Amino acid sequence: MTAKQKMTPYELLLQIVIFATGFFYAFTYYVKVSTPVDLQAIADNSLAYLTAMIITAFAIGIINLTRIHYRNIKLKRPDWKFSIALLGSLYGMAIFSMISSPFQLDPQAMVIPVWLINFIQPIWSFMYYNVMISINTSIFSLLAFFIASAAFRAFKVRTLESTILLVAGLLVIIGEAPIADLIWPGFSAIQNWIMLVPNTAGQRGILIGAALSIIAFSARRMIRYS
Amino acid sequence: MLEMFPGRIGQAILLILVLCAVAIGSRLALRRKWKARAISGIDKLDSWIKHASQLNRSVFFSPGTAGVGSTDTLAALALLRYVAKLCVQNDVKLIIANADLNVQQVTEEILKNAYDEAGKSDKYNVDCVRYLSGSIFAYAAGVMGLLRRERPALNIFLGAFSAESLEVAEAGRSAALYQFGGTSSIDQLPFFLATCDLTLLAGELYAAQSYLTNDPWDISRTVGEDVGKVIAILLILAGTILISLGNEFILNLLNL
Repeated sequence: MTAKQKMTPYELLLQIVIFATGFFYAFTYYVKVSTPVDLQAIADNSLAYLTAMIITAFAIGIINLTRIHYRNIKLKRPDWKFSIALLGSLYGMAIFSMISSPFQLDPQAMVIPVWLINFIQPIWSFMYYNVMISINTSIFSLLAFFIASAAFRAFKVRTLESTILLVAGLLVIIGEAPIADLIWPGFSAIQNWIMLVPNTAGQRGILIGAALSIIAFSARRMIRYS
Repeated sequence: MLEMFPGRIGQAILLILVLCAVAIGSRLALRRKWKARAISGIDKLDSWIKHASQLNRSVFFSPGTAGVGSTDTLAALALLRYVAKLCVQNDVKLIIANADLNVQQVTEEILKNAYDEAGKSDKYNVDCVRYLSGSIFAYAAGVMGLLRRERPALNIFLGAFSAESLEVAEAGRSAALYQFGGTSSIDQLPFFLATCDLTLLAGELYAAQSYLTNDPWDISRTVGEDVGKVIAILLILAGTILISLGNEFILNLLNL
């Protein structure tokens, strides 16, 4: 919204709802009201609606993924075969999880036959523990190589600042190495000083600045919707 | 029956003070038409988007992996409005990848509004706003794949990130010409600084929109934010001095 524009009735209503909700939760955080109505209980219960809304929104994600990847397959876009794998995994795992997993729909086997639950159980376990967790761990382990390439780029002597960064980085790396104390006991002391004094001071500066910005940013959002 | 929670009275007084200061500061800035101080290098964003248009390549935007409740995400979404507007003006394809379902809906709406405002509603393609995954490493894998396939000219990642930030940034480094990042997460900032051409550090992320849009309303809101910060800094200084002198007035006030 710019200076020249005025709020439409819809935006005004939205602003009132945002302010009233924010004010209500702030009020119940600071003030205890038990009679005639228990405001704290109302605030806690209304959070359950938020959970319900988030779960409803989950369907939107599935619809979005299905739409995009279905079109990829239909139009045979580049790498469309991966879309088949994605949709197969998405719906396959969803169905398997509903039949036989810690979150299964029918744990008492009232509707779903026992033989089907027993048949799906090892497949689900394999897909979850041997495929999904392994893939997640692989992606996580890629970080080691990315850190190396990012460090290679960052640790270059170009300016005075980057030279200081390089020297400080090398001292910290050497100080952290198990062999450091055998080479010279001073490395550990220097590494400790770098981490505890300049590093902590810099981090706290950024942290306090960010925390103050967050407080003021949240206050601004509550006062005026944008 | 009204009853204040013990230990929260001081906080309530402080909140009211900050809210009043934010409101007064905003009004003052609006009346006096103050200008926003430039953030070093941020003007390049316009030229990078124009460059993407000349190369006929896309722009990639990631609003982080947190939900709409995160202030970093809200700041990223505010900047997305500006980026979307510029991309639509320059006929550049903007690809947005989301990790949160609520953010997905908001980003769809922002991009759609940008096309509607420019009178190009027919060019809006809903497939440009994609939900990848709620799991951070699955999201990182999705982003790495998208960057490799789409080869954007500019990779923008603003908002709250965790361990996946370096994967997004390094994949972008090898695929995109330019990188623009911003977060308030201290753990991820070194990775952003090592891989980006331009990085918004913590508080800059919240103020960038005001400078870019140069809109009096946006500037007034940032001034309001800064007034709130000044109050907090004064309290920190007063508290530090008084505690050093053995006076616990501020401490007692906040613990009321």
